[in-house]
Amino acid sequence: MKLITHNMLTSKCLKGVITGYPLAITATVVKVSEVEYNPEFISRIIPKLDWEVLWKAADSIGHNEGLPPTIDPKFEDNEEFLRKAHKVLLEVEVEEGYLTCPESGRQFPITKGIPNMLLTEAEVQ
Amino acid sequence: MNETKKVIKKCKRYAARLQSTKGVICSDKPGSNIILCNVGQATGLIKDDIINLLNILPSVKLKKFIAEKGESYSYLVFDSEASALTFYHNYNGRKCCNNDTYLYMCFVENVPNTEIICAQKDPEGLCIIEDFISKEEEEKLIEVFDWENEKPNLKNRQVRHFGYEFRYGSNDVDLDAPLSDKIPKDCNIFWTRLKKYDINLEPPDQLTVNKYIPGQGIPLHVDRHSPFGSTILSVSLGSSVVMDWRHHSGLNIPIDIPPRSMLIMQGAARYDWQHGIQPRTWDPIIDHRILEDGQRIKVVTSETRNRETRISLTFRWTRCGDCDCVYKTLCDTADVTSTSDLNDNVASNLEELHVHQVYEQISRHFSSTRHQAWPQVVGFVRDSPPGAVLLDLGAGNGKNILKRNDILQPAADCIRLDLLHAGIRDGCADVIICIAVIHHFSSQSRRIQAVATIARLLRSGGRALITVWAKDQTKSNYLCKKKENVIHNNSTVEVAGINLPVHENRTQFQHKDLLVPWKLRGVKEDKLADKPESTLLRFYHVFEEGELEQLCVSSELIVEKSFYDEGNWCVVCKKV
Repeated sequence: MKLITHNMLTSKCLKGVITGYPLAITATVVKVSEVEYNPEFISRIIPKLDWEVLWKAADSIGHNEGLPPTIDPKFEDNEEFLRKAHKVLLEVEVEEGYLTCPESGRQFPITKGIPNMLLTEAEVQ
Repeated sequence: MNETKKVIKKCKRYAARLQSTKGVICSDKPGSNIILCNVGQATGLIKDDIINLLNILPSVKLKKFIAEKGESYSYLVFDSEASALTFYHNYNGRKCCNNDTYLYMCFVENVPNTEIICAQKDPEGLCIIEDFISKEEEEKLIEVFDWENEKPNLKNRQVRHFGYEFRYGSNDVDLDAPLSDKIPKDCNIFWTRLKKYDINLEPPDQLTVNKYIPGQGIPLHVDRHSPFGSTILSVSLGSSVVMDWRHHSGLNIPIDIPPRSMLIMQGAARYDWQHGIQPRTWDPIIDHRILEDGQRIKVVTSETRNRETRISLTFRWTRCGDCDCVYKTLCDTADVTSTSDLNDNVASNLEELHVHQVYEQISRHFSSTRHQAWPQVVGFVRDSPPGAVLLDLGAGNGKNILKRNDILQPAADCIRLDLLHAGIRDGCADVIICIAVIHHFSSQSRRIQAVATIARLLRSGGRALITVWAKDQTKSNYLCKKKENVIHNNSTVEVAGINLPVHENRTQFQHKDLLVPWKLRGVKEDKLADKPESTLLRFYHVFEEGELEQLCVSSELIVEKSFYDEGNWCVVCKKV
């Protein structure tokens, strides 16, 4: 699971859960692999993300890579920032571990890099 | 005097014999019913002779004439005792018939009632135009269509085809194999003449000629719906015949088909009734009567007439695709088993067993058969703007992921989720593709919910490409030529209390909700095993034209494009 994906995941579908966001990450195995760098993509994707959530997630697994907790308004021109953001968004992956719903405590396992967001019929709203 | 005594004596002898052998009780007391002791069906009774006798006696009114099959006597029911007496005094012991038969008669109190009253109306959409062609035209047509009595080429009759060969077994035609024998031009008079009756039809393209010799018939059937159009015509040459019509509600109606008549089947008669001809050498005579209250009824009398050779010309219009009739009971393409209204628990259970568990088991094999992204999908993904977030819902092995680093394709990062309860934030996707997924949801409400999820996940202005399997596979590579003539064995499997039909792979879909077999083969070193290990059944709801569009039209989505591609219905929709 890449952190960019984590940025979009929610446990809102659980019965009784109102926002279910962000999910806490508990990582037992983290993998960093090289992904082709595309500054244009990174610049365009950042405004679509919840940066604070991304930063906290990266920080919680020890991979904030020295990124700032808030974004500089002119981040597009900051090559160093974009490279770091690229690494955090696309290169860092949680291989094993689990996600935890902030409201209900329900855990979602991450196995071989794949978070399992499936719910049982009894759990859904 | 002597003569009268002789007649009376003879009549008494007849009466005694009728009583002992048939239980018919004759009476000395005059009444309105008379039994003709020695004249009946079995003696070659000719009703016309009796009618002629009556014509000479204008005051005598006959109400009913009963000649039971195989009997050597018959009954006359008069309107009054006076009529009966007049008839009796004029003809008893006299030679009255052409074949020199003397009539001997007695009075009877009771007459058998073997008539069958048929008060139902003829099937809706059935029209018989009597004397549609002249005797001369009939003779000419018989010359065109008759053939020497060969052995029947069907079990019980002889047939010939023009335009296309009617295939018994599948009860359709092969549109790719037209016959060199077209419908003879002699038939053209039919279409022009029908216009006079306000029936405007293009000339048909298929003709089956049936030759029935006495004793031959055709089992009850409905002309299969989907291969033929909404009108079927039948022209009768030679003998008249009684055709039996049966409705699935239990109605049975015999209908006289006179020679030289044009029978037109449309509407319910075409689609909702079965018709057939009993294999016998005779037919009952059907009387039309008007009851005192003005109701017209049909009476199947106990009288019969013999059949002669009859040639029928059945004209049909070929067509392809599913039948669009509104009569579902006898329709070959109507969907009888529908899971659309399943309650959610049952639907979920069904999908667990016949979608999720099956894909879990077949995933390796399945993945090994899925290499290429569909061109339509590639095109759609290629058009995504740089920086777009793309969700591939139901990504399978990720074959649809393009080698692009300028868009986010989280399928490149996989998530296991349930489309009905997707743990993804609202409005986070710029582009969604949902390929061959929604047809696995078994109830309509779950399909609606799946589309609602897509709408929820799209940001405003975002687009989705959704594809599902089409019921009509005629324009795809899915159908296997060799299997064209496969007769569907109609096997079903019970799942969660519902009998679901099991599809015959590589053939046209017969149902909308069905189980599609997956012959599971092992995968070793990236090679498929030769023989399947087992067969697993996947649930599918295959879509009709327009159905997916309808599903996608919601307050949040606008359908921008809708098309058929290689056996799939596809839509591109945009979030408002």
